[in-house]
Amino acid sequence: MIPENQRLERLAERLRAIESAPPSPAAKIRAWNLVSAGLQTPVGSSARRRSAVRLVAGGLAAVALLVAGAVAAAADSLPDSAFYPVKGTIENLQGVLALTASDQFKYHLSLAATRLREADAMFSRHRVDLADRALAGMEEQLTSAAAIVKVVKESDPAVAGSLAGQLKNAVETHDNQLAGLQGQVTNPTAVDAITKARNRAQEALQLAAAPADNKPGNGNTSASASATDQGQDSSGSPSISPAPSRNP
Amino acid sequence: MRVFGKAPGDDDRPLVERARRGDQDAARALFERYFDRIYNYVYARLGRVEDAEDLAIDTMTRSLTRLDLFQDQGVAFSSWVYRIAHNATIDHYRRQGKVTLVQLEGANLPPSADPSEMAVERMSNEDLRAAIRELTEEQQQVVILRFFQDLTAAQVAEITSKSVGAVQALQHRALASLERSLAGRPVN
Repeated sequence: MIPENQRLERLAERLRAIESAPPSPAAKIRAWNLVSAGLQTPVGSSARRRSAVRLVAGGLAAVALLVAGAVAAAADSLPDSAFYPVKGTIENLQGVLALTASDQFKYHLSLAATRLREADAMFSRHRVDLADRALAGMEEQLTSAAAIVKVVKESDPAVAGSLAGQLKNAVETHDNQLAGLQGQVTNPTAVDAITKARNRAQEALQLAAAPADNKPGNGNTSASASATDQGQDSSGSPSISPAPSRNP
Repeated sequence: MRVFGKAPGDDDRPLVERARRGDQDAARALFERYFDRIYNYVYARLGRVEDAEDLAIDTMTRSLTRLDLFQDQGVAFSSWVYRIAHNATIDHYRRQGKVTLVQLEGANLPPSADPSEMAVERMSNEDLRAAIRELTEEQQQVVILRFFQDLTAAQVAEITSKSVGAVQALQHRALASLERSLAGRPVN
Protein backbone atom coordinates (compact mmCIF):
# COMPACT_ATOMS: atom_id res chain seq x y z
CA MET A 1 0.00 0.00 0.00
CA ILE A 2 1.54 3.30 -1.07
CA PRO A 3 1.26 6.10 1.54
CA GLU A 4 -1.28 8.80 0.68
CA ASN A 5 1.26 11.58 0.38
CA GLN A 6 3.26 9.63 -2.17
CA ARG A 7 0.15 8.76 -4.15
CA LEU A 8 -1.01 12.37 -4.23
CA GLU A 9 2.44 13.60 -5.18
CA ARG A 10 2.44 11.09 -8.02
CA LEU A 11 -0.96 12.36 -9.13
CA ALA A 12 0.28 15.94 -8.93
CA GLU A 13 3.26 15.06 -11.12
CA ARG A 14 0.92 13.44 -13.63
CA LEU A 15 -1.19 16.62 -13.73
CA ARG A 16 1.92 18.74 -14.29
CA ALA A 17 2.77 16.53 -17.24
CA ILE A 18 -0.51 17.25 -19.05
CA GLU A 19 0.35 19.21 -22.14
CA SER A 20 -1.17 22.66 -22.43
CA ALA A 21 -3.65 23.18 -25.24
CA PRO A 22 -2.56 26.14 -27.39
CA PRO A 23 -5.20 28.54 -28.66
CA SER A 24 -5.70 28.66 -32.40
CA PRO A 25 -3.64 31.30 -34.25
CA ALA A 26 -6.91 32.77 -35.56
CA ALA A 27 -8.18 33.29 -32.01
CA LYS A 28 -4.95 34.97 -31.04
CA ILE A 29 -5.08 37.31 -34.02
CA ARG A 30 -8.73 38.11 -33.30
CA ALA A 31 -7.91 38.76 -29.65
CA TRP A 32 -5.06 41.15 -30.44
CA ASN A 33 -7.15 42.98 -33.04
CA LEU A 34 -9.85 43.57 -30.45
CA VAL A 35 -7.36 44.63 -27.78
CA SER A 36 -5.60 46.89 -30.24
CA ALA A 37 -8.87 48.50 -31.33
CA GLY A 38 -9.78 49.05 -27.67
CA LEU A 39 -6.39 50.66 -26.97
CA GLN A 40 -6.91 53.19 -29.71
CA THR A 41 -10.10 54.46 -28.11
CA PRO A 42 -9.49 54.27 -24.37
CA VAL A 43 -12.67 54.78 -22.34
CA GLY A 44 -12.83 58.17 -20.69
CA SER A 45 -9.84 59.77 -22.39
CA SER A 46 -11.75 61.05 -25.41
CA ALA A 47 -14.48 62.42 -23.15
CA ARG A 48 -11.88 64.17 -21.01
CA ARG A 49 -10.16 65.56 -24.11
CA ARG A 50 -13.51 66.83 -25.41
CA SER A 51 -14.31 68.48 -22.09
CA ALA A 52 -10.91 70.17 -21.98
CA VAL A 53 -11.31 71.52 -25.50
CA ARG A 54 -14.74 72.80 -24.61
CA LEU A 55 -13.42 74.53 -21.51
CA VAL A 56 -10.66 76.28 -23.48
CA ALA A 57 -13.12 77.38 -26.13
CA GLY A 58 -15.50 78.64 -23.46
CA GLY A 59 -12.70 80.75 -21.91
CA LEU A 60 -12.04 82.45 -25.23
CA ALA A 61 -15.66 83.13 -26.02
CA ALA A 62 -17.51 86.31 -25.17
CA VAL A 63 -19.62 86.58 -22.02
CA ALA A 64 -22.76 86.07 -24.06
CA LEU A 65 -21.48 82.69 -25.16
CA LEU A 66 -20.53 81.58 -21.65
CA VAL A 67 -24.01 80.38 -20.78
CA ALA A 68 -24.30 78.42 -24.01
CA GLY A 69 -20.83 77.01 -23.45
CA ALA A 70 -21.69 75.94 -19.93
CA VAL A 71 -24.82 74.19 -21.12
CA ALA A 72 -22.88 72.38 -23.85
CA ALA A 73 -20.20 71.31 -21.39
CA ALA A 74 -22.84 70.19 -18.93
CA ALA A 75 -24.42 67.88 -21.47
CA ASP A 76 -21.40 65.58 -21.37
CA SER A 77 -20.27 66.36 -17.83
CA LEU A 78 -19.57 63.69 -15.26
CA PRO A 79 -20.49 63.61 -11.57
CA ASP A 80 -17.09 64.98 -10.53
CA SER A 81 -17.46 68.01 -12.79
CA ALA A 82 -18.50 71.50 -11.71
CA PHE A 83 -21.00 71.52 -14.59
CA TYR A 84 -22.79 68.43 -13.38
CA PRO A 85 -25.62 70.24 -11.51
CA VAL A 86 -26.42 72.08 -14.76
CA LYS A 87 -26.78 68.72 -16.44
CA GLY A 88 -29.44 67.80 -13.88
CA THR A 89 -31.41 70.94 -14.69
CA ILE A 90 -31.23 70.21 -18.43
CA GLU A 91 -32.40 66.64 -17.84
CA ASN A 92 -35.33 67.80 -15.72
CA LEU A 93 -36.37 70.18 -18.50
CA GLN A 94 -36.19 67.34 -21.00
CA GLY A 95 -38.39 65.32 -18.66
CA VAL A 96 -41.03 68.03 -18.61
CA LEU A 97 -41.05 68.05 -22.43
CA ALA A 98 -41.66 64.30 -22.57
CA LEU A 99 -45.45 64.38 -22.69
CA THR A 100 -46.59 60.98 -23.85
CA ALA A 101 -46.04 57.76 -21.94
CA SER A 102 -43.84 56.49 -24.77
CA ASP A 103 -41.67 59.64 -24.68
CA GLN A 104 -41.39 59.40 -20.91
CA PHE A 105 -40.39 55.76 -21.19
CA LYS A 106 -37.63 56.64 -23.68
CA TYR A 107 -36.56 59.50 -21.46
CA HIS A 108 -36.08 57.19 -18.47
CA LEU A 109 -34.23 54.56 -20.52
CA SER A 110 -31.95 57.24 -21.92
CA LEU A 111 -31.20 58.56 -18.43
CA ALA A 112 -30.54 55.03 -17.16
CA ALA A 113 -27.92 54.57 -19.90
CA THR A 114 -26.42 57.97 -19.06
CA ARG A 115 -26.16 57.07 -15.36
CA LEU A 116 -24.47 53.78 -16.26
CA ARG A 117 -21.91 55.57 -18.43
CA GLU A 118 -21.24 57.97 -15.57
CA ALA A 119 -20.81 55.08 -13.12
CA ASP A 120 -18.33 53.40 -15.48
CA ALA A 121 -16.33 56.62 -15.79
CA MET A 122 -16.36 57.14 -12.02
CA PHE A 123 -15.14 53.57 -11.38
CA SER A 124 -12.28 54.21 -13.80
CA ARG A 125 -11.39 57.31 -11.77
CA HIS A 126 -11.68 55.30 -8.54
CA ARG A 127 -14.55 57.51 -7.33
CA VAL A 128 -16.61 54.65 -5.94
CA ASP A 129 -18.85 57.04 -3.97
CA LEU A 130 -19.94 58.89 -7.11
CA ALA A 131 -20.19 55.65 -9.09
CA ASP A 132 -22.49 54.24 -6.40
CA ARG A 133 -24.73 57.32 -6.68
CA ALA A 134 -24.81 57.05 -10.45
CA LEU A 135 -25.83 53.40 -10.21
CA ALA A 136 -28.58 54.32 -7.76
CA GLY A 137 -29.76 56.84 -10.36
CA MET A 138 -29.74 54.14 -13.02
CA GLU A 139 -31.85 51.85 -10.82
CA GLU A 140 -34.31 54.69 -10.23
CA GLN A 141 -34.67 55.40 -13.95
CA LEU A 142 -35.21 51.73 -14.78
CA THR A 143 -37.85 51.47 -12.05
CA SER A 144 -39.61 54.54 -13.48
CA ALA A 145 -39.52 53.02 -16.97
CA ALA A 146 -40.91 49.75 -15.60
CA ALA A 147 -43.70 51.63 -13.82
CA ILE A 148 -44.70 53.21 -17.13
CA VAL A 149 -44.88 49.78 -18.77
CA LYS A 150 -47.11 48.58 -15.97
CA VAL A 151 -49.46 51.55 -16.29
CA VAL A 152 -49.62 51.39 -20.12
CA LYS A 153 -50.52 47.71 -19.83
CA GLU A 154 -53.93 48.70 -18.51
CA SER A 155 -54.87 50.77 -21.55
CA ASP A 156 -52.83 49.35 -24.42
CA PRO A 157 -51.35 45.90 -23.91
CA ALA A 158 -49.77 45.89 -27.39
CA VAL A 159 -47.81 49.09 -26.77
CA ALA A 160 -46.93 47.86 -23.29
CA GLY A 161 -45.54 44.67 -24.86
CA SER A 162 -43.32 46.70 -27.15
CA LEU A 163 -42.10 48.87 -24.27
CA ALA A 164 -41.48 45.78 -22.13
CA GLY A 165 -39.32 44.35 -24.93
CA GLN A 166 -37.30 47.56 -25.11
CA LEU A 167 -36.89 47.54 -21.34
CA LYS A 168 -35.73 43.92 -21.40
CA ASN A 169 -33.12 44.71 -24.09
CA ALA A 170 -31.90 47.72 -22.15
CA VAL A 171 -31.61 45.76 -18.90
CA GLU A 172 -29.73 42.95 -20.67
CA THR A 173 -27.30 45.42 -22.22
CA HIS A 174 -26.76 47.15 -18.89
CA ASP A 175 -26.36 43.81 -17.12
CA ASN A 176 -23.65 42.73 -19.57
CA GLN A 177 -21.83 45.99 -19.07
CA LEU A 178 -22.17 45.71 -15.29
CA ALA A 179 -20.96 42.10 -15.35
CA GLY A 180 -17.88 43.30 -17.21
CA LEU A 181 -17.27 46.03 -14.67
CA GLN A 182 -17.86 43.62 -11.80
CA GLY A 183 -15.08 41.41 -13.08
CA GLN A 184 -12.69 44.32 -13.23
CA VAL A 185 -13.15 46.22 -10.01
CA THR A 186 -11.42 44.97 -6.87
CA ASN A 187 -12.86 47.34 -4.29
CA PRO A 188 -15.47 45.37 -2.24
CA THR A 189 -17.73 48.45 -1.95
CA ALA A 190 -17.70 48.77 -5.73
CA VAL A 191 -18.45 45.08 -6.19
CA ASP A 192 -21.38 45.37 -3.74
CA ALA A 193 -22.72 48.45 -5.52
CA ILE A 194 -22.62 46.70 -8.89
CA THR A 195 -24.24 43.56 -7.50
CA LYS A 196 -27.03 45.66 -6.03
CA ALA A 197 -27.51 47.54 -9.29
CA ARG A 198 -27.76 44.29 -11.27
CA ASN A 199 -30.32 42.91 -8.83
CA ARG A 200 -32.37 46.11 -8.88
CA ALA A 201 -32.37 46.12 -12.69
CA GLN A 202 -33.81 42.60 -12.63
CA GLU A 203 -36.42 43.75 -10.11
CA ALA A 204 -37.42 46.51 -12.52
CA LEU A 205 -38.00 43.87 -15.18
CA GLN A 206 -40.18 41.91 -12.76
CA LEU A 207 -42.14 45.06 -11.98
CA ALA A 208 -42.78 45.61 -15.68
CA ALA A 209 -43.85 41.98 -16.07
CA ALA A 210 -46.33 42.19 -13.20
CA PRO A 211 -50.00 42.23 -14.17
CA ALA A 212 -51.69 45.60 -14.54
CA ASP A 213 -53.52 46.93 -11.47
CA ASN A 214 -56.71 47.64 -13.41
CA LYS A 215 -57.77 50.31 -10.99
CA PRO A 216 -60.62 52.51 -12.25
CA GLY A 217 -59.33 55.72 -13.78
CA ASN A 218 -55.77 54.51 -13.72
CA GLY A 219 -55.54 53.78 -17.38
CA ASN A 220 -55.12 57.29 -18.74
CA THR A 221 -51.69 57.56 -20.30
CA SER A 222 -52.42 60.65 -22.37
CA ALA A 223 -50.31 63.76 -22.38
CA SER A 224 -52.83 65.70 -20.31
CA ALA A 225 -52.95 63.00 -17.65
CA SER A 226 -49.21 62.76 -17.32
CA ALA A 227 -48.73 66.51 -17.36
CA THR A 228 -50.99 66.95 -14.36
CA ASP A 229 -49.79 63.92 -12.46
CA GLN A 230 -46.34 64.91 -11.33
CA GLY A 231 -44.58 62.95 -8.61
CA GLN A 232 -46.18 59.95 -6.97
CA ASP A 233 -49.76 58.82 -6.87
CA SER A 234 -51.71 58.27 -3.68
CA SER A 235 -50.59 54.66 -3.40
CA GLY A 236 -46.99 55.76 -3.30
CA SER A 237 -45.98 53.99 -6.51
CA PRO A 238 -44.15 55.95 -9.18
CA SER A 239 -46.44 57.78 -11.57
CA ILE A 240 -45.97 57.71 -15.33
CA SER A 241 -44.72 61.27 -15.26
CA PRO A 242 -40.98 61.81 -15.20
CA ALA A 243 -39.61 61.06 -11.77
CA PRO A 244 -37.42 63.79 -10.34
CA SER A 245 -33.90 62.84 -11.33
CA ARG A 246 -31.92 61.64 -8.30
CA ASN A 247 -28.66 61.95 -10.19
CA PRO A 248 -27.53 64.57 -10.95
CA MET B 1 5.29 20.00 -20.87
CA ARG B 2 4.38 23.65 -20.55
CA VAL B 3 4.75 26.09 -23.43
CA PHE B 4 4.48 29.18 -21.26
CA GLY B 5 7.39 31.50 -20.60
CA LYS B 6 8.44 32.42 -17.14
CA ALA B 7 5.81 32.59 -14.44
CA PRO B 8 3.97 35.88 -14.09
CA GLY B 9 5.22 38.13 -11.35
CA ASP B 10 6.02 41.63 -10.19
CA ASP B 11 8.07 42.44 -13.29
CA ASP B 12 4.81 43.19 -15.11
CA ARG B 13 4.69 46.56 -13.37
CA PRO B 14 6.85 48.60 -15.80
CA LEU B 15 4.94 47.14 -18.75
CA VAL B 16 1.62 47.92 -17.11
CA GLU B 17 2.69 51.52 -16.47
CA ARG B 18 3.80 51.95 -20.07
CA ALA B 19 0.63 50.34 -21.42
CA ARG B 20 -1.42 52.64 -19.20
CA ARG B 21 0.21 55.62 -20.91
CA GLY B 22 -0.83 54.25 -24.30
CA ASP B 23 2.33 52.33 -25.26
CA GLN B 24 1.08 49.68 -27.70
CA ASP B 25 4.34 47.71 -27.58
CA ALA B 26 3.97 47.30 -23.83
CA ALA B 27 0.36 46.22 -24.23
CA ARG B 28 1.44 43.73 -26.87
CA ALA B 29 4.11 42.33 -24.55
CA LEU B 30 1.52 41.83 -21.80
CA PHE B 31 -0.85 40.25 -24.30
CA GLU B 32 1.85 37.80 -25.44
CA ARG B 33 2.70 37.02 -21.84
CA TYR B 34 -0.86 36.22 -20.77
CA PHE B 35 -3.08 35.21 -23.65
CA ASP B 36 -1.97 31.56 -23.87
CA ARG B 37 -2.01 31.21 -20.09
CA ILE B 38 -5.50 32.61 -19.79
CA TYR B 39 -6.74 30.51 -22.68
CA ASN B 40 -5.37 27.38 -20.99
CA TYR B 41 -6.86 28.36 -17.65
CA VAL B 42 -10.30 28.87 -19.16
CA TYR B 43 -10.05 25.79 -21.36
CA ALA B 44 -9.21 23.65 -18.33
CA ARG B 45 -12.28 25.03 -16.58
CA LEU B 46 -14.75 24.75 -19.47
CA GLY B 47 -13.39 22.01 -21.73
CA ARG B 48 -14.72 23.65 -24.91
CA VAL B 49 -12.33 25.29 -27.35
CA GLU B 50 -14.85 27.83 -28.70
CA ASP B 51 -15.96 28.99 -25.25
CA ALA B 52 -12.39 29.10 -24.00
CA GLU B 53 -11.30 31.25 -26.94
CA ASP B 54 -14.21 33.65 -26.46
CA LEU B 55 -13.59 34.02 -22.74
CA ALA B 56 -9.82 34.37 -23.16
CA ILE B 57 -10.37 37.10 -25.75
CA ASP B 58 -12.90 38.77 -23.48
CA THR B 59 -10.52 38.61 -20.51
CA MET B 60 -7.57 40.08 -22.40
CA THR B 61 -9.71 42.82 -23.93
CA ARG B 62 -11.19 43.74 -20.57
CA SER B 63 -7.86 43.78 -18.81
CA LEU B 64 -5.67 45.55 -21.36
CA THR B 65 -8.18 48.16 -22.50
CA ARG B 66 -9.28 48.99 -18.96
CA LEU B 67 -5.95 49.29 -17.18
CA ASP B 68 -7.42 52.42 -15.60
CA LEU B 69 -9.46 50.06 -13.42
CA PHE B 70 -6.39 48.18 -12.20
CA GLN B 71 -5.41 49.46 -8.79
CA ASP B 72 -1.90 48.47 -7.86
CA GLN B 73 -2.63 47.94 -4.17
CA GLY B 74 -0.38 45.03 -3.46
CA VAL B 75 -2.15 42.82 -5.98
CA ALA B 76 -0.04 41.75 -8.93
CA PHE B 77 -1.28 42.42 -12.44
CA SER B 78 -1.24 38.66 -13.07
CA SER B 79 -3.61 38.09 -10.14
CA TRP B 80 -5.95 40.73 -11.51
CA VAL B 81 -6.01 39.10 -14.94
CA TYR B 82 -6.66 35.64 -13.46
CA ARG B 83 -9.47 37.10 -11.33
CA ILE B 84 -11.07 38.60 -14.44
CA ALA B 85 -10.79 35.21 -16.16
CA HIS B 86 -12.26 33.49 -13.10
CA ASN B 87 -15.17 35.93 -12.93
CA ALA B 88 -15.79 35.56 -16.66
CA THR B 89 -15.88 31.78 -16.20
CA ILE B 90 -18.35 32.02 -13.33
CA ASP B 91 -20.48 34.37 -15.40
CA HIS B 92 -20.35 31.89 -18.27
CA TYR B 93 -21.49 29.07 -15.96
CA ARG B 94 -24.31 31.29 -14.74
CA ARG B 95 -25.46 32.08 -18.28
CA GLN B 96 -25.33 28.40 -19.16
CA GLY B 97 -27.42 27.57 -16.11
CA LYS B 98 -24.63 25.55 -14.52
CA VAL B 99 -25.09 26.59 -10.92
CA THR B 100 -23.45 24.02 -8.70
CA LEU B 101 -20.77 21.47 -9.16
CA VAL B 102 -20.71 18.01 -7.65
CA GLN B 103 -19.00 17.91 -4.29
CA LEU B 104 -16.98 14.74 -4.59
CA GLU B 105 -15.94 14.52 -0.98
CA GLY B 106 -19.40 13.67 0.25
CA ALA B 107 -20.54 11.91 -2.88
CA ASN B 108 -21.29 8.24 -3.11
CA LEU B 109 -18.15 7.12 -4.85
CA PRO B 110 -17.07 3.61 -5.69
CA PRO B 111 -14.67 2.08 -3.18
CA SER B 112 -11.12 3.10 -3.90
CA ALA B 113 -9.16 0.66 -5.96
CA ASP B 114 -5.78 -0.43 -4.78
CA PRO B 115 -3.85 2.81 -5.36
CA SER B 116 -0.80 0.91 -6.47
CA GLU B 117 -2.87 -0.37 -9.37
CA MET B 118 -4.50 2.93 -10.16
CA ALA B 119 -1.87 3.74 -12.76
CA VAL B 120 -2.59 7.44 -13.14
CA GLU B 121 0.28 7.46 -15.60
CA ARG B 122 -1.88 5.47 -17.99
CA MET B 123 -4.88 7.80 -17.72
CA SER B 124 -5.41 9.91 -20.82
CA ASN B 125 -5.01 13.66 -20.54
CA GLU B 126 -8.67 14.11 -21.46
CA ASP B 127 -9.79 11.72 -18.70
CA LEU B 128 -7.76 13.71 -16.21
CA ARG B 129 -9.12 17.02 -17.50
CA ALA B 130 -12.67 15.68 -17.31
CA ALA B 131 -12.13 14.45 -13.76
CA ILE B 132 -10.81 17.87 -12.75
CA ARG B 133 -13.94 19.51 -14.10
CA GLU B 134 -15.96 17.40 -11.68
CA LEU B 135 -14.20 18.90 -8.67
CA THR B 136 -15.76 21.73 -6.70
CA GLU B 137 -15.38 25.26 -8.03
CA GLU B 138 -12.60 26.16 -5.57
CA GLN B 139 -10.77 22.87 -5.97
CA GLN B 140 -10.73 23.21 -9.76
CA GLN B 141 -9.34 26.69 -9.52
CA VAL B 142 -6.52 25.65 -7.19
CA VAL B 143 -5.59 22.50 -9.16
CA ILE B 144 -5.51 24.35 -12.48
CA LEU B 145 -3.54 27.30 -11.17
CA ARG B 146 -1.05 25.11 -9.28
CA PHE B 147 -0.46 22.30 -11.74
CA PHE B 148 -1.47 23.64 -15.16
CA GLN B 149 -0.30 27.20 -14.69
CA ASP B 150 2.71 26.35 -12.49
CA LEU B 151 1.89 29.06 -9.98
CA THR B 152 3.14 28.96 -6.40
CA ALA B 153 0.76 28.51 -3.48
CA ALA B 154 1.41 32.16 -2.58
CA GLN B 155 0.40 33.34 -6.05
CA VAL B 156 -2.74 31.22 -5.97
CA ALA B 157 -3.52 32.62 -2.51
CA GLU B 158 -3.36 36.16 -3.90
CA ILE B 159 -5.58 35.34 -6.87
CA THR B 160 -8.19 33.56 -4.76
CA SER B 161 -7.95 35.96 -1.79
CA LYS B 162 -7.19 33.05 0.54
CA SER B 163 -4.33 32.29 2.90
CA VAL B 164 -1.47 30.09 1.71
CA GLY B 165 -2.51 27.49 4.28
CA ALA B 166 -6.06 27.46 2.94
CA VAL B 167 -4.77 26.98 -0.60
CA GLN B 168 -2.56 24.08 0.50
CA ALA B 169 -5.48 22.47 2.33
CA LEU B 170 -7.71 22.91 -0.72
CA GLN B 171 -5.02 21.43 -2.93
CA HIS B 172 -4.72 18.37 -0.69
CA ARG B 173 -8.48 17.82 -0.63
CA ALA B 174 -8.67 18.35 -4.38
CA LEU B 175 -6.01 15.74 -5.11
CA ALA B 176 -7.64 13.26 -2.71
CA SER B 177 -11.03 13.82 -4.39
CA LEU B 178 -9.47 13.45 -7.80
CA GLU B 179 -7.79 10.22 -6.79
CA ARG B 180 -11.09 8.78 -5.59
CA SER B 181 -12.81 9.90 -8.76
CA LEU B 182 -10.15 8.38 -11.00
CA ALA B 183 -10.26 5.12 -9.09
CA GLY B 184 -13.80 4.66 -10.33
CA ARG B 185 -12.92 5.21 -13.99
CA PRO B 186 -11.72 2.60 -16.42
CA VAL B 187 -8.25 3.20 -17.81
CA ASN B 188 -8.36 3.73 -21.56
